[in-house]
Amino acid sequence: MTDIPLATAEAAVAGTDTGRRAAPYLPMPRTAARAATLAGAVISIASTFMSWTYTTDFPGDLTVSGYPGGLQIMTLIAAILTGVVALGAFGTPGLRWLNPSRSPNSVLLLALATLGTTWYTVIDIAAKLGGFANLDPGGFVAFIGALVLFAGALGLPIDRRPQEPAGAEYYELGRFEKYAAVVRTYVWLREARLHHSDLRVADARKLNPWLQRLVIVVVYALGLKILTFGLATDYSDIFIGYLIVVAVGFWGLGASGLLKQFQQLTHRNRRFSATVGVIAAIAYPFVQNNEHWANLGVSVLIVGTVALGLNIVVGLTGLLDLGYVAFLGVGAYAAALVSGSQFSIWSGVQFPFWAAAITGMVAACVFGVLIGAPTLRLRGDYLAIVTLGFGEIFRIVVRNLDGVSGPKITNGPNGIAQIPDLSVFGYNLGDNHSMGSFTLGRFANYYLLMLLITVIVVLVFTRAADSRIGRSWIAIREDETAATAMGINGFRVKLVAFALGASLAGLAGTVFAHVTNSVVPDPYQFSGPVPPNSAFLLAAVVLGGMGTVSGPILGAALLYVIPEKLDFLSKYELFAFGLALVLIMRFRPEGIIPNRRRQLEFHEDEELAPGNRPMGDDTVPAATAGA
Amino acid sequence: MHTLPQQLANGLFIGSMYGLIAIGYTMVYGIVQLINFAHGEIYMTGAFGALAVYTNLPDGMSIWAALPLMLAGGAIVAVLIAVGAERLAYRPLRNAPRLAPLITAIGLSLALQQAVFLWYPHATAGKHFPQLPGDGFDIGSVSVAPGDIFLVVAAVVCMSALATFVRTSRTGRAMQATAQDPDTAQLMGIDTNRIIVIAFAIGGLFAAVAGLASGLKYGQIKYDMGFQAGLKAFTAAVLGGIGNIYGAMLGGVVLGIAESCASAYISNIPGMQQLGGEGWKNVWAFVLLIIVLLLRPQGLLGERVADRA
Amino acid sequence: MRQRSLLILTSVLATGALTLSACGSRSDDDKKSSDGGGNSAGTSSTTVVIGVDAPLTGANSATGLGIQYGAQIAVDDANTKKLVPGVTFKIKALDDKAQPATGQQNATALVAESDVIAAVGPLNSGVAQSMQQVFDSAKMVEISPSNTNPALTQGKDWATGTKTRPFKSYFRTATTDANQGNFAADYAAKTLNKKNAFVVDDKQTYGAGLAGIFKGKFQSLGGKIAGTDHVNTGDSDFSTLVTKIKNSGADILYYGGQYDESELITKQLKAAGVHIPLMGGDGMYSDTYIKTAGAAAEGDLVTSVGVPVDTLPAAKTFIDTYKAKGYPGDYGTYGGYSYDATTAIINGVKAVMDANGGKLPSDARAKLIDAVQKTDFDGIAGHVSFDEFGDTTNKQLTVYQVKSGKWVAVKTGEYTG
Repeated sequence: MTDIPLATAEAAVAGTDTGRRAAPYLPMPRTAARAATLAGAVISIASTFMSWTYTTDFPGDLTVSGYPGGLQIMTLIAAILTGVVALGAFGTPGLRWLNPSRSPNSVLLLALATLGTTWYTVIDIAAKLGGFANLDPGGFVAFIGALVLFAGALGLPIDRRPQEPAGAEYYELGRFEKYAAVVRTYVWLREARLHHSDLRVADARKLNPWLQRLVIVVVYALGLKILTFGLATDYSDIFIGYLIVVAVGFWGLGASGLLKQFQQLTHRNRRFSATVGVIAAIAYPFVQNNEHWANLGVSVLIVGTVALGLNIVVGLTGLLDLGYVAFLGVGAYAAALVSGSQFSIWSGVQFPFWAAAITGMVAACVFGVLIGAPTLRLRGDYLAIVTLGFGEIFRIVVRNLDGVSGPKITNGPNGIAQIPDLSVFGYNLGDNHSMGSFTLGRFANYYLLMLLITVIVVLVFTRAADSRIGRSWIAIREDETAATAMGINGFRVKLVAFALGASLAGLAGTVFAHVTNSVVPDPYQFSGPVPPNSAFLLAAVVLGGMGTVSGPILGAALLYVIPEKLDFLSKYELFAFGLALVLIMRFRPEGIIPNRRRQLEFHEDEELAPGNRPMGDDTVPAATAGA
Repeated sequence: MHTLPQQLANGLFIGSMYGLIAIGYTMVYGIVQLINFAHGEIYMTGAFGALAVYTNLPDGMSIWAALPLMLAGGAIVAVLIAVGAERLAYRPLRNAPRLAPLITAIGLSLALQQAVFLWYPHATAGKHFPQLPGDGFDIGSVSVAPGDIFLVVAAVVCMSALATFVRTSRTGRAMQATAQDPDTAQLMGIDTNRIIVIAFAIGGLFAAVAGLASGLKYGQIKYDMGFQAGLKAFTAAVLGGIGNIYGAMLGGVVLGIAESCASAYISNIPGMQQLGGEGWKNVWAFVLLIIVLLLRPQGLLGERVADRA
Repeated sequence: MRQRSLLILTSVLATGALTLSACGSRSDDDKKSSDGGGNSAGTSSTTVVIGVDAPLTGANSATGLGIQYGAQIAVDDANTKKLVPGVTFKIKALDDKAQPATGQQNATALVAESDVIAAVGPLNSGVAQSMQQVFDSAKMVEISPSNTNPALTQGKDWATGTKTRPFKSYFRTATTDANQGNFAADYAAKTLNKKNAFVVDDKQTYGAGLAGIFKGKFQSLGGKIAGTDHVNTGDSDFSTLVTKIKNSGADILYYGGQYDESELITKQLKAAGVHIPLMGGDGMYSDTYIKTAGAAAEGDLVTSVGVPVDTLPAAKTFIDTYKAKGYPGDYGTYGGYSYDATTAIINGVKAVMDANGGKLPSDARAKLIDAVQKTDFDGIAGHVSFDEFGDTTNKQLTVYQVKSGKWVAVKTGEYTG
């Protein structure tokens, strides 16, 4: 930012402590803690077979004794997981592999997931139905069980940061350092931090290669199952419970070292796991045989793919493009014009899909060059404002090109409607196709087509990022002056990135036009209530992780699905986006899935021990997110 | 062409507003090289702050008596938000890669706009804003409304006050020094953090004045008024030469006049009949920005400086 | 040893998760059957759901909520009056946020639910374009209470007279821009005796369509067009436009668009000393317009579809119910049409069931299309029936004028060519 260079080298060297201590949060005898943990898990599991409330008014019907339903399933799964991982942590033979790091941190986090979802359910029942009187005994049992479980886990020897040296000074507190209470709280918080990321785990690559592959397949299948289960929840209450379990549970599995091992496996079997990932994604419309969810799947893939294209510009090259959605629009309009729609000015012209896709890409690329060429020579900040302006202008221009207030091209505000469905090799994507016992509807067809395009874009992204030009992009991002001095033609390299990003958006736009049957000017705006809009795309890239493959796709999927399922939040969606951008940039600028180089860059003046790297890496295949 | 004086005046009025907002962009950029995208929303919150004061004043109070209070209310809100944003969102990122504060600014802008939309009472549509009493009058062939006079007077007063401040006061000179070379300025004993806060505060203050003037001129304010105004004002700042406070005002006026002339006269050019009018004026403003960036990237009054980013 | 236990446990976990998630779906079925059982003793009662799609959040939400609760009142009325014996109607309202892609997703969601029989909505013509195809493929009736773009029912060449209906399943209870624009031009030229009109629109489907039709009709009635211009939605400074109008010598300004911009235009126009009336369509027929524009609004005109509500007793009951229930949103603009659209569906369901011996046939959705086509009843906004394109045959229009700070009906009539 400013050119007040903080001594980066010293900062990196200064904080290299790898110290760790194991201490419980709640002091209690070891056996008592273990017993409480296991008992809590058992009580929680048992409670899900009881009735929690006596009316069916609460979503998911929790009145049935004998088998769990609705939110009880969440408690059940979380409690089982906590139980077995705890057994693994305690060294039970045969279960030890479930907790390779032997750290009780994973137990604590999974217990937190159990507690979160159970208490959420119980409190939600009380809030929805008016008071705790609406709980059946099962509800109270669950409440207590989760509490016992969590309390037991707090008594385990948790791996934490070392104790702060006495008399340490905390400049970051500024003028608050004077107050002893503030400092005490701060020290307590610092010491309470979990510290498990550099625990050693057994190398999973020593497993039998076939078993490795089997594990990969099973994990992907489970991932697909978890995903479709979440999508199929029909009440936002259940979805919240699901989110708690998945998010906190994932964190817990990370602490157990299982994710690290899985990463080792996918790393070793990179091609195999990528293939399995794609197969899992293909399986999605078959597993989730419902047109609405297929439609959602297409939308997620489209915004995910566009976000990935934006990632070339923002994540790899470090250029801020705030009008990216306009390139999607250019592609969509170009495809609509040659689609054979009767509202197109060339209503007789109907290109086959491959030609339409190329048309969309070329058109978007041309606009990318037109916008990029004058601005990329200048300081990067100008690009942000010019693209923002372009994004606004695009909509205005398209609205005016109707023959009344401009040349007749886009049919103005009415847009181009009745875009016919695509037909690929005689396979009409608009019709239902039966395959054995499965029926692929219109949106399932488009989902599969879009998946193909996503795979292409992922390939383009990884190939480009690993190529000579990709390394130049990163060099430019890191330090343009140094890169230029090394002989990189900054302008040309940036223009390539900008044009490539635009073309990929144009490619996605061609499918977008056909999926929605019509193109109109309004969706292509900077910030709007629904994706795609430039702010959404940027948020997806930033949340997921700049410069990674799976990050933007995961980010887009999360940002798309969460508001979709939590419909009562939709009012606050844009507000939350804004706030999220600010908070992510402040606290985790590398996103959910960090790019290794990027993370070092963002945290260069903080302590970053060599092994202290959260899970995730740019090589994680995209499948679980894309499915 | 007998409408030309009127159209120039229209451009001057709207341009003064762009200029007032552009000051905020240009001062912040000049000192920390940050495009504060949220500045448009600070202008918006300034207008809403003034309105909030007005609605809580006793009925029947004359608008002239209310005006200083409204200005104070708007200024407090806008300055607090601007300074708060600097302190809580931008300052921690001062050594982060360049992209981080830009994204933060975008996020802030969205959050501020939505916060007003969601929580200011009945702000989902346009809000009625009081207007200055009295009818418009004619100066020659130009008709002028009281709101326009207020706007131009406010712009002139603010500009000259700022110019005096920067040129003569100690803090003003410290600002110039920090803009030129923050490291050396710091070594010379200037508290650069304080200077940066002051730059944000002045930007917020001017944005509040612009917000109040906009409310008085149009009689309506809206939660999304900041986005386009911010975009235009930034264009104005670039046109005039970013970092230069006189340039910001000049750029604003040039942009305003260019817009109003484009809207009024482009359709008279043979072959471009369809490309004139209100609908295309934003497009022409954008074209102007591109042309200036191509031909004179340092802006009308800017000096060519080495790329420091 | 270690590898074997790993194998066993992964498979146990996998099957466990699969079985559990299969359990997850049972709760819903249970609930449905208990719902049905509790409703009416003896006779089997079926629940029929009518989908509603409108923007329920965001900038257009007031109007969108009016559509939702207009439909809700229609359903409540049908249920209390037992209009269709043995059937309980329910509303499932989805939010399209005024975005085509979201509207389309809602359409697929409604189609995917087997107990949804038909849909009311959407608000915006642009959204309708993306939904029509989905509903038509599923042979499901869609009735919009507010789409005004003629091309939706009459095909792209409607203006030249070759009308073809693109989708058999799409109907609307709102009249098209064509009727409203022509009616307004008629009134301006003949009743107000205006000779010289300046036409402005906001480049939205609704506004641009309306303005284009007004312009054509006004010219054909011998009027002159002093000038045309197009504004951007969201702009607030119209001084350049006002100067142009001032110098064009126009004696009326026609604005196609919503009140958000027109209230500012009329204010700035009159502040510049141009005292000509501003005329617009039903998008401007709102109290907000008068409130914001203040005295400047005096004498401005709008056309609105239907007869004035206070002349119809049925409409009065509707408004009273709406207010009494404390529903959010704005019933004034399209609530009545939404009520009528929903009633048309309910009547259609009755017709389909009567033809099938009092039971809902398995292909009820498809049969409903024909039944709705034959709709014929008196709704709260006038007579409801559909012509061969799916347009309403009710072409009643009213001109309102601002007189001492209130909208006052000055002419009610029917546009006849």
